[in-house]
Amino acid sequence: MIRDAEDRRPGPPLPRRGGFGRQAPRVRSVSAFLSVAGAAVIWIALLGPVITLLTHLSGSAIASALTGPGDLDPLITSLAAGGVTLAVLLCLCTPLSWMLARGRLPLPRLWEAGLLCSLLLPPLVIGLLLVFMVGPYTPIGEFLGWLHQDATNTFLALVIAEVYESAPYYVLGAQAAFASVDTRLEQQAGLLGDPPRRVFRRITLPLAAPGLAMALAVAWARAMGAFGAVVIIAYHPFGIPLQIFVTLQETGLASALPYALVLLVVALPLPMAAYVWSARAERRRRG
Amino acid sequence: MLSADVEVDRRDFAVRAALSVAAGERVALFGPSGAGKTTVLESIAGLVLPRRGLVELGGRVLTSAGGPRPVAVPPYQRRIGLLRQDPGLFPHLPVRANLLYARSSSGAEVEAIARQLGIDGLLSAMPARLSGGQQHRVALGRLLLAHCDALLLDEPFASLDAALRRALTALVKDLSSERTVPSVLVTHQLPDAQAFADRLFVMDQGSVLQEGAPDEVVLRPASRRVAELVGYLGFVPVAPPGASGARGTSGADGSDDDPAGTVVAGGVVAGVHPDRVVPGADPSRGLVVTGTVEAARPSGASWEADLRAGDAAFTCRLPSCPESAQVSVTLLAPPYFAPDGSRISNSHALT
Repeated sequence: MIRDAEDRRPGPPLPRRGGFGRQAPRVRSVSAFLSVAGAAVIWIALLGPVITLLTHLSGSAIASALTGPGDLDPLITSLAAGGVTLAVLLCLCTPLSWMLARGRLPLPRLWEAGLLCSLLLPPLVIGLLLVFMVGPYTPIGEFLGWLHQDATNTFLALVIAEVYESAPYYVLGAQAAFASVDTRLEQQAGLLGDPPRRVFRRITLPLAAPGLAMALAVAWARAMGAFGAVVIIAYHPFGIPLQIFVTLQETGLASALPYALVLLVVALPLPMAAYVWSARAERRRRG
Repeated sequence: MLSADVEVDRRDFAVRAALSVAAGERVALFGPSGAGKTTVLESIAGLVLPRRGLVELGGRVLTSAGGPRPVAVPPYQRRIGLLRQDPGLFPHLPVRANLLYARSSSGAEVEAIARQLGIDGLLSAMPARLSGGQQHRVALGRLLLAHCDALLLDEPFASLDAALRRALTALVKDLSSERTVPSVLVTHQLPDAQAFADRLFVMDQGSVLQEGAPDEVVLRPASRRVAELVGYLGFVPVAPPGASGARGTSGADGSDDDPAGTVVAGGVVAGVHPDRVVPGADPSRGLVVTGTVEAARPSGASWEADLRAGDAAFTCRLPSCPESAQVSVTLLAPPYFAPDGSRISNSHALT
């Protein structure tokens, strides 16, 4: 047994860099005060629409908007389409993100540029192009017809539109999450006897999980709020964003607000949960 | 027995090395940064595939490249442990789970190894809370518990202070002998290599320049380049008797490297190792050199002085600060090198 000057107990807790419960820095100077004040103004301005929404809503308005027969159908449609979208992203885009992060694809810049293209295209344009790509008179549309499926104005069309709107956000976020995992740790796990798949399960995935959760949460928020592509290719069945648009057109601004609250309530929990979970995972790692 | 004879292409040069390490034997690859030492280690571990070569461990062929039947056993099937400068602990797992990662040990064995390494109080701590030395001990424990058939150490303790480095090097040395596994240490610190290894390989620019016992390599470097790498800080021309500057004299230990009073061929130089210099002219002990003191500074418990003898400059360590501008020192059994850099002995090059 060796004994040296080192303390054999673990060191004191490390200062926390993020998450809840951290200590606020002291404001010691005028410039520091102005910085904090400026940050607060920006924060409140960004939250302005949410604050406005909450101040313009009454309980009776929410009740009357959401208690009629079929009023919750858009919510159910949005949740179902969002769930399927997430499943598609997880299954198809996670391997792509991993391969991009690990440089396993030839011409990696080309792949990334392709993703950026779909990120930079306005959602409305994506919707238009999707009609030309999967519409009923295209080869893909005809193939889907042969399978008794239709990619316009159906649940499938809604999922396709949401996937196209959210996939680049997930792929780029997941790529960053995988890239943050030190490959030497994966090598070390391999040298300790783990084949690559087990290394992925025991090392890569747990270490990338907080970043993956955040990427998934962003993709979820994008999918729930998808409108541009959806209004072109999947006008029916209504999800919440389309319900807001239609209500706004037919009965006015006030009637649309309760649906905006519903959108916020269903879209927000997953990103919040992902944030809290990531912060906890980080704290756990730091002991 | 671990044997490796590999040739690996790198962007700047090809790395060629052949070494065989018996069970329980410890060797060190010593050389400057970028010499190709880590490449050799990684080719043994299977992280780098050589262009040509053969790696065998305990009779098992792990790599065979460049022949008709290539073999490349993946790293996870090699049973070779690699300890790097970064301990590489898995940050999401507590110490106990890190130690048990390879799943080849019982809880009792974990406790025993943890006690031996002095980390038994840390088993439930997360790696982020450990000091550098503690992290290295956990990494070492994890390798031991994986029951590897060979141990590769890539400058594992380079970032630690000297005392801790000595303690951990001694620990690894004991453990590798106790488990009778072949061990290879890569380092650019000669004292670390000497403290650890039974045999030293000096590498530079992708080639092994010399192989031998650690003291043998330092006292009898095979070439001027090896001498530079193992700490010789200057080379003085050896002149015929009667000429000014240094001259060959009888060696005290009868070494065959000493010119033994003979006239030395032109262009021959003697290597000056700062630790193998004694103050004063004592021809019976070695080569006497008289030089001008250009600078002197305290170095540990002694003084380091820069001397100039003719065109040659060299550095030596003296027990006290030189008091005059001209001092004579005696180089103890210095090695002699021909103009082409090779070491010369009595058998040739001296007339």
